[in-house]
This record gives sequence, C-alpha cells and structure tokens, in this order.
Amino acid sequence: MPQPKRKAAWIRLVEQNAGLVLSAVLLVIAIVLYCAIYYAAQGRLPGGFELTTTVNNTMPLVFAGAAQAIVVITGGIDLSVGGVIDLTNALAALYLGDSPLSMVLCTIGVIAVGGACGLLNGLLVAYGRLQPILVTLATLAIFQGLAIRVLPAPGGSVPEAYTAILANFEAPYSLVFIVVLLVVWALVRRTSIGVGIYAIGNDDLAAKSSGVKNLRSRVTAYVLSGMLAAVAGLFLVANATSGDPTTGNGYTLRSIVAVVLGGISLFGGRGTPISAVIGAFVSTMIVNILFFAQIDPLYQSFFEGVFLVVAVLLTAIISRLMRRRAVA
Amino acid sequence: MTILEPSTNEPPPASAVRGARLGVTPDQRRILYAIVAAILLFFIGGLIRPGFSSPSGIAAVLTVACFVGLVAAGQTFVILIGGIDLSVPWTLNAGAILMMSTAANSDARMPFALLVTLGMGALVGLCNGVGIAVFGVPAVVMTLAMNGVLEGLTLGLSGGLTCSSCAAYAPPLLQAAAHGTILGIPAILYLWLGVILLASFILSFTTFGRGTYAIGNGARASYLAGVNVTRTTIILYVISGAFSALAGIMILGFGGQAALGLGDPYLFQSIAAAVIGGVYILGGRGHYVGTVAGSISLVALVSVLMAMNMPEYGRSITYGVIILVLLLAYGRETAER
Amino acid sequence: MDSPSALDPPAEAAGPSAPLLVECVGLRKTFGGVVALNDADFNAIAGEVHALVGENGAGKSTLIKAIGGRIRPDAGTIRIKGQAQALGAPEDGHALGIRTVFQELTLLGGMTVAENLLIGREPRGRLGFIHRRRMGEEAEALLARMGIEHIDPLALVEETSLAERQIVEIVRAINNRPDILLLDEPTSSLVEREVNWLYGQIEELRKRDTCIIFTSHRWHEIRNVADRITVFRAGRHVGTFEDIDESEAITLMTGKRVSTLYPAVPPLPARDAALEAKGLRGGRLNGVDLTLHKGEILGVGGLAGHGHRELFFSLFGAERTSGGEILVGGKPVRLASPRQATRRGIDIALVPEDRKTEGLFLGMSIRNNMTLSVLGRISSAGVLNFGAERRVAEEMARRLGVRMQGLRHPVGSLSGGNQQKVLIGRWLLMEPRILLLYDITRGVDVATKHELYELVSRLAGQGHSILLYSSDAEELAHLPHRVLVMREGRIARELAGPDMTAESIVSAAVRDTAQS
Repeated sequence: MPQPKRKAAWIRLVEQNAGLVLSAVLLVIAIVLYCAIYYAAQGRLPGGFELTTTVNNTMPLVFAGAAQAIVVITGGIDLSVGGVIDLTNALAALYLGDSPLSMVLCTIGVIAVGGACGLLNGLLVAYGRLQPILVTLATLAIFQGLAIRVLPAPGGSVPEAYTAILANFEAPYSLVFIVVLLVVWALVRRTSIGVGIYAIGNDDLAAKSSGVKNLRSRVTAYVLSGMLAAVAGLFLVANATSGDPTTGNGYTLRSIVAVVLGGISLFGGRGTPISAVIGAFVSTMIVNILFFAQIDPLYQSFFEGVFLVVAVLLTAIISRLMRRRAVA
Repeated sequence: MTILEPSTNEPPPASAVRGARLGVTPDQRRILYAIVAAILLFFIGGLIRPGFSSPSGIAAVLTVACFVGLVAAGQTFVILIGGIDLSVPWTLNAGAILMMSTAANSDARMPFALLVTLGMGALVGLCNGVGIAVFGVPAVVMTLAMNGVLEGLTLGLSGGLTCSSCAAYAPPLLQAAAHGTILGIPAILYLWLGVILLASFILSFTTFGRGTYAIGNGARASYLAGVNVTRTTIILYVISGAFSALAGIMILGFGGQAALGLGDPYLFQSIAAAVIGGVYILGGRGHYVGTVAGSISLVALVSVLMAMNMPEYGRSITYGVIILVLLLAYGRETAER
Repeated sequence: MDSPSALDPPAEAAGPSAPLLVECVGLRKTFGGVVALNDADFNAIAGEVHALVGENGAGKSTLIKAIGGRIRPDAGTIRIKGQAQALGAPEDGHALGIRTVFQELTLLGGMTVAENLLIGREPRGRLGFIHRRRMGEEAEALLARMGIEHIDPLALVEETSLAERQIVEIVRAINNRPDILLLDEPTSSLVEREVNWLYGQIEELRKRDTCIIFTSHRWHEIRNVADRITVFRAGRHVGTFEDIDESEAITLMTGKRVSTLYPAVPPLPARDAALEAKGLRGGRLNGVDLTLHKGEILGVGGLAGHGHRELFFSLFGAERTSGGEILVGGKPVRLASPRQATRRGIDIALVPEDRKTEGLFLGMSIRNNMTLSVLGRISSAGVLNFGAERRVAEEMARRLGVRMQGLRHPVGSLSGGNQQKVLIGRWLLMEPRILLLYDITRGVDVATKHELYELVSRLAGQGHSILLYSSDAEELAHLPHRVLVMREGRIARELAGPDMTAESIVSAAVRDTAQS
C-alpha cells in the first residue's frame, strides 16, 4: 500500500479546528480595534473597569451561546433558548432569597427548570422525531407564556450578595465560571454521550449503526442546553439585579449569532461550544467598538448585521483557501 | 429489447404507497387537515361566542389571516427550497414606515410610494438571495443578518421614528382599500385571493415552480440537471422580500400608522402557518394552498382563545401546545424516512 | 411479483455439518406493499465464508439488515447461536457478536478515523473519561496490526478517500471480534490490491471460526473466497451451493438464461470528432487530451481518485478548469455550468455516479424526474403543458422498459436499475449528441446491466457519442471501441482492439502507478 503521508500535528490541529482558530483571530482583531478606538476617544487604553463590565455584560450570552452550540452540534437549532432565559430569569427574580441556603437551592432549582425545558425539547425532537426548529419554535411560545405567568411585569429583586458572586462589579471574577464551563464541557466530551452528540450531528443513521445511543445523546444535548440557558438567565438577572420576563427574547437570535461568529457549522457535527464563548465576546466587542466609535446606537443592529455577514464570508473564504491548499 | 424477466422492485416509501391507494398524497392530506382545523375552529368559536362564525366574524378573522398569509407566501416559497427568511419582521416594518413616509398622507404620491416600498422589499430579497445563492452564506445567517441591517437602517434613518415625515398617516386611499368592502367582502381579501391564485399557478403550472420543487428535493441534483439554481434561489428571496413589504403596506393601511416592532409577530407566525399547512420545513414538499389554510387556522385559533378571554400568557402557551400537537400528528408521516 | 419458475438447479450443497450459527426461517418483510423478503430461509455455520448473490432487490441487503438488527422482519424467526432472537436495533446485534459493514457506509465524516474505529470502546482514563491521546495510539496500533499504514488515524474521515473509508469500516467491524461478520458489497469501492487485503482478513477470520456472510456483484470475487453460495431471487432462497458457475448462477438469479452479457460493439462510422479535450487542467486534472468521435463508445478506466470524476464533471461544466480547452464538434466552447453544457448546439448530458444525491429526486414522481431536462420544450412562456409532459415521459419510459406502477409514483419506489433508466431517460429526452456516462451499472443487477449495455450500444449505433467510465474492467473491455486509462490526472494509456482486455486495463492502471 502507498506510503503514509502524514501532516504535521499543528497543521492538522489548525485545519480540524478552523472555526475555533478563526473566531479567536476575529476576537483578537476586535480587541485591537476596540483598544485603538478607545484610545482615540479617551486618550488612554481600556482598563480593569472596562474589562469587568465587558465580561459581566457578556456572561449571559456566553452561556446562551454555549447552550445553542450544543444543540447546533447535534445538527439541530434551539429557538427556545430565549424562552428558557425568560422563564428562569423570572423564577430567579421571584424566588431568590437573602440566605445562602436559599440562593443555593434557588440556583439549583432554576437550573433544574432549565433542564426540564430542555428535556421537553429533547424528548419531542428525539422520540417525536420532529424538526428541532419547529419544536423549539412551539416551546418558545410555551416558555415565554410561562415566564409571563410567573412574573407578569418586570420586577422582583436579586440579593446583592448574589450579584456580587455572578456579576461582581469590582473585578472580572466571572471568568471563573467560563473556566468551569470549559472544564465541564471537556469532561462531557470525553463521555459516551459527548461522542454521541458529535456522532448524531454527523450522521444520525451512521451513528445508530455504530452503536451510539442516539436518543439518549440527543435528549442529553437538549437537557444540557436548557441548563446552560438557565445559567444564562441567572447571570442576566444578577447583572440587572431584577427580573424581566421578556428580557431573554433577544437571546435566541443573539445565541445563534454567537455560534456563527464562533465559526460553528450550522450543519452540525463540527465545532465546539468554546467557539461560541469566543463568539459571544466578539459580539460584545462589536457593540463596544460601535459605542466608542460614536455610532448612533440606533444603527447598532445595522452594523451587527453587516459584521455577521462579513464574518461568515471571511470564514467561508479562508476555509476554502485552506482546503485548496490541502488538496494541492 | 427485454430478454429477462422483471427485476424485483426495491421498497418504496410506505407513505407514498398508502397515499396512492387512497388517491390522496400525504401532501394533499396535510393540506386537508389544515382546512379541517380551520373549519373546526370557526365552529368552536361560534359555540363560545355567538357571532364568531357569523359572516362578519369570519371576515374579521380572514382579514387578520390575510396579513399572515401574505408574509407566509414568501416564506413558503423559500422554505420550499429548504431555505428560510428571518428578515421578515424588519422588511415588513421598514416597508410600512417607508410607505407611510414616502406617500406622506397623499393619495397622489401613493403609486410612487407603492413602487418604492415594493422595490425596497425586492431589493432586500435580492441581497438575501445573492448572499445565499452566490456567496454561499447559510440562509439562517444571511436573513438574520439582513433583519439586523434593516432594523438598524430603519431606526437610524427615521431617528427612531421621530423624523418629520414619520408623523404621517397612511394615505386615505390605502386606508379605504384596507377597510373597504366589495360585494360585502373585505377588499383586502380579493387581493389575497389574487395572491393565492398567482402563487398556486406559479408553483403548479410553471417551469419555475417545477425548478423550485426540484431544488428543494436536491440542490446538487438540480444543478446537474441543468436547473438554474442560483437564479431561482435569488428570485424566490426577491419574492419573499416583496411579499413582506406588501404585507407591511396592507398592515399600514389597516392600522393607519406604522409603529416600531410592527413586524415582530409575523416571523414565527409565517413559519408556523406554512408548517401547519403541510409545507415541509426542509423543503421540496408543500403548497401555498396549505399555507393559506394554515394561516387561517392559526389566526382562528388565536381569535378563539381571545374569545375565551384567555390572558396573553395562556394564549402563548396554548398556541405552542397546539403547534406541537399538530406536528406530532403530521410527524408520524414524515418520520418514515 | 412472479413466483420462481421451475428450474433444474445444479446439485445443492449437502446440509452443513457444523452447528448453525445463523438460522433464518420464513422471514418476511414488506415495505409498504412491496415484498422484500418473501418466506426466506437462510443458514450459515461457524468458520465459513458464505456469499449471498442475487439481483438488486432480490432481498440480499434486506436479509443482511435483518440479521444485523437494522430492520425487524414482519414474520419469521432468526436464530443466532441456536437461540431465537428479536433483533430490533444494531445494538441487539452487537450484543450477540454480530457486526455489519453496510453498503452505504456508516462512518462519521466530521470525526477522526480513530474516533470512528474505537467508537463505543474508547480507552478510558482513571476517572472513566475517554483518554484521547491513548485513543489515537490504539487506533494507530490497530491499523498497523491489520497491515494498514497509509491511513492517518488522526485525520478526519471526510479527508479520506472512499476506499480508505471502506477499509476503516471493515477494520472497525473486525476489531469488534465478531462471531458473525456481515459484509454488504464490501469491495464496491476497493481496487484489486485492497480487495486482496480484504481476502487476507477474511481468511484470518475464517481461521478464528468466524462466520462471514457477504454480498457481491463481482463473480470472480465470489468464486475466490466463498465456501458456499446462496442464491436469492424475489425475496426467496433459491438454493445454496458449494460450487456453481457464473452462467448457472445467473440463470438461477434471473430465472432465465443469458446468452451473452455484452452486445456486439457497433461499427464506427467516419471519424468525426464530437468532443475533444486539449490539455485540460484543474483540480485533479493534469493535462488531459482526448478525442471522442461521433458514434463512438470511448471507455475511461483506472484507479479511483485519479481524476475521472473531475474529467467528467469538467466536460459537463460542473467543475471549474484552470487550463486547456474543450471543443465540441471542432469548435472551442466555454462550459461554466451544466446549464451551458446542455444548451442546444452543445448537447452534452451527464449521468453521474451517485444517482441518489446527484441525479434523481427520490420523492418526486417518475414523470417530473424525467422531464426536468426538457422543461423548455414542454412549456410555452414558462407555463407547463401537462399533456405534452405526460406524452414524452410515457414514451421514454416505454422505450427504456422502465418497470413501474405508474408515472405519478415517486422514483424512490423503483429498483436501482429502473431508477438508473429514469435518469438516463431524462437525458435522452434532451436528445444529446454527447453522453457522459459515469459508472452507470454500479450496484445494478445483472439483468438491468444487460439492458443498459444494449442501450449504450444502440445509442452509439444511432450516432450518439458516448464517454463511459466504469469501475468494472470487464465492462470496459467489452463495451467500448477504445479505452483510455487515467493516472494522476492524465491519460496514461490508450488501449484498443485485441489489447483491450480487463487484465490489460487493470495492469495499465496499476503498473503505471507502481512506476511513479
């Protein structure tokens, strides 16, 4: 048989994680641009305060993006992310008490509710064999309705201590939670379920024939996604210090944007939620850049839309170039 | 030329065989379901509140359904090729505001304003179509981004709807057209009927419609069969953009004034209407007639719930549950892959 | 379906002496009214290599799937190792030591070769989590142990060739140390050297008392490795033999006698060039020169991955070229899309390799599938004329002998061979001057193969020019006027007349590779 022709390890690593690499490059560019514009406007470089605010503002999207990413990797899409955030946000604002015990129990309870929402999605998609986009469209309406039932109007309160833990205004302590997220994901990835999540995203039938527990993997992916969305709801409520049953609505689309900016293929089976975390930060940096470039905030969506298309086009062009090089 | 006996057939999809036996294809059956659902809902509505299923009650539901149906027409076209148009909300909203500010209360400027507004919708669709078909951006991303672009432009250019021309009303003629009746039937429904006939004709009787279904069933195979995939895709998104703008115009005429966030409900409703009407979300199967029935069922459902004095959250939940139930009913057939 | 007619088969093999490992009794499976297995019996013992032969749709694949647990039969019993089993999922089969290599490969493209090889039995670390580095090492060792050195275990499966994937799939199945190994068309994308590797593996397994059941359309393979041969027809077991020659087997498979498989090559008229390529480059193409004459059948052969696919797609405008030119009827043409290739005046048609994703729309009706290439002709101002459409489709279906329930039925309801006819019919409707046929008989049963050969020969006789690629060297040796053997993106050898044999075609491709 022909002689082995192996690629260098680092080339292979870059090629196989093109999305992650590209999103990291995108983030670096965004940060440099931000620093430059910030310097031009303020006469100094951004410091600790800016970092802390940026991190705190991005945390909900970090988890919403990761939630979306897991479902996207299975080849689905989760439109109910915003609904779960609405619901968990409302629940947290209503039930969080001042005692540490109450905070712990309430946090666990809220995450469990998120998991239950995900379970509903997962069961319908896996056992009902329905299209994820449609199932989550329907459950989005259900979760949004439940959120308004729980908390009919913005209100409720969040104990200061809780905010201090999740969205400390002093320093970007929240980065710790991102590390936790990454570690948890690295472990999940190293279980049969983790393998299954990628396998079903690649090819459902092939996964089944390879002995993968398709249904279990799929349901777990949605449960994880629901739990992560619930965490996003908690960060949102901690940051805002009060609840709002509709504040999560925008997160469905924003989470998709984070996934796309993270270079994760919407066709499934490829990419990692870590990219979505990076994508979330890119997304926040764009808003920051626009702010310091003194762009009318009314035009914000315009630029976000343009950046989204440009990012996708760049990703496509670069990966095409890389592939051409690989063939040659 | 055959010198050998027939080779055995491979198994066809069970649904196809069953459908052939009944003389109704599964696609047609799903359309029937949606129609039956609509009729049933009118019946239930009549039981809950007398007058609900009176001619004027039905007309009221149909008028609202018309708005959904117009948006869903474009949505159906793009879903048929396995795409989706998420730029609907702000295309519609931008359309309404552009119509209002361009016509500036004047009937005389209305034809010009109509042209500009529909042209804007078509242009949005053109950008979507080119991004998707030429540059290969996934439809979800492209139209999502386009929605943001339009939102930003609409808000920015109108100064958050504070511009001087933003204080205008819909031209009287447009308002009259939206509210008027011909032979006792709302004028707007004639427009819808026209759209229904046109869309059905395009889908069923033209080479363009045939190409659309082919792309939905397999884009690569269509390309290799000589179908102009790029052009067809672009045209379909142009149609979708134009329909969103048209819906914006009609909603403006109906409401008199445009507002921000006007288009938000129509994204999910247009998708839901198409799906309830049996359009397969991954493309290739379905018909606008089904979407029409889906739009009517959807609006009738919301109306019935409102007639029951159900609060907003209850309507939202019920709406979600009903879609799930319908999906489970349909899904049993599509599951036979 | 017809019932099998009375035949006098060669002497059947005596009953097996060893205990039965697989025993199927009265299996029945219908897919929406079409009978795939009809009261089928089958048995196999430990340590034997058992070939399943039959036409497409005879029920071989369905039987394999039933034993492997991929589908559940409607009636009948499957006994594995003497115990009746209800196999409803592949896991059930795995638990009983059954592994299957399916015809449509079941690898996961976005995952590495190592992940695919070891899926479900990944090496674990102390805490029970998968040890990814060790997984790579284990996969490497596994491949090396089985004599495979050219596949990088850390490459993504989608980066590997079709043949490499087939090998990975086989390695994975064998690595699970199955008692029963089911191989559905395992050699369809392998070249001879790889096929020999597979024989070696099968031999090893036989020594370990594994029961190997495989299907194949290639007769020499069956003869080389099988201990016993079971013939299926129309969902039924026709007979099991220890030795049977090809024509007898074909008789049993089809129910009729085939005199010769290949029709006579039609005479070649005056040598007018219909299609020429000069120095064609791009992708894998590295300067291809060829001339296809009017009324000629020009064969193209060679090992997989040496640019045939790119050549065909380039000539059809579906692949971008970076240099060289294409001439149709002596005039240079620019083909930027299939649309331009099919244009009047150029009239090139391509029947691609993968009819399910590149050719047909399985959910659409036979009629709509066929007329897609001539929508312009059956419409005016973009409006379709349904009457004309039905007429042309009906006529073509009759001309090609498409066996179907009706034109309105979905193409997916037809057998593979008949699907292929619909696809060819689509292009014949266009009345092309030049037909590019890419491996049209792959996975098609013998009877339909014969019909397709007759068709190709007749089309050439009527003046169509045909460029024919085939993975079957036998076919290339008999059907065309000339054969071009491709290697590394160019024409390495032209064979004609008495030199044109299956052996010379294969050896031209292989020897040239070895020299480089």
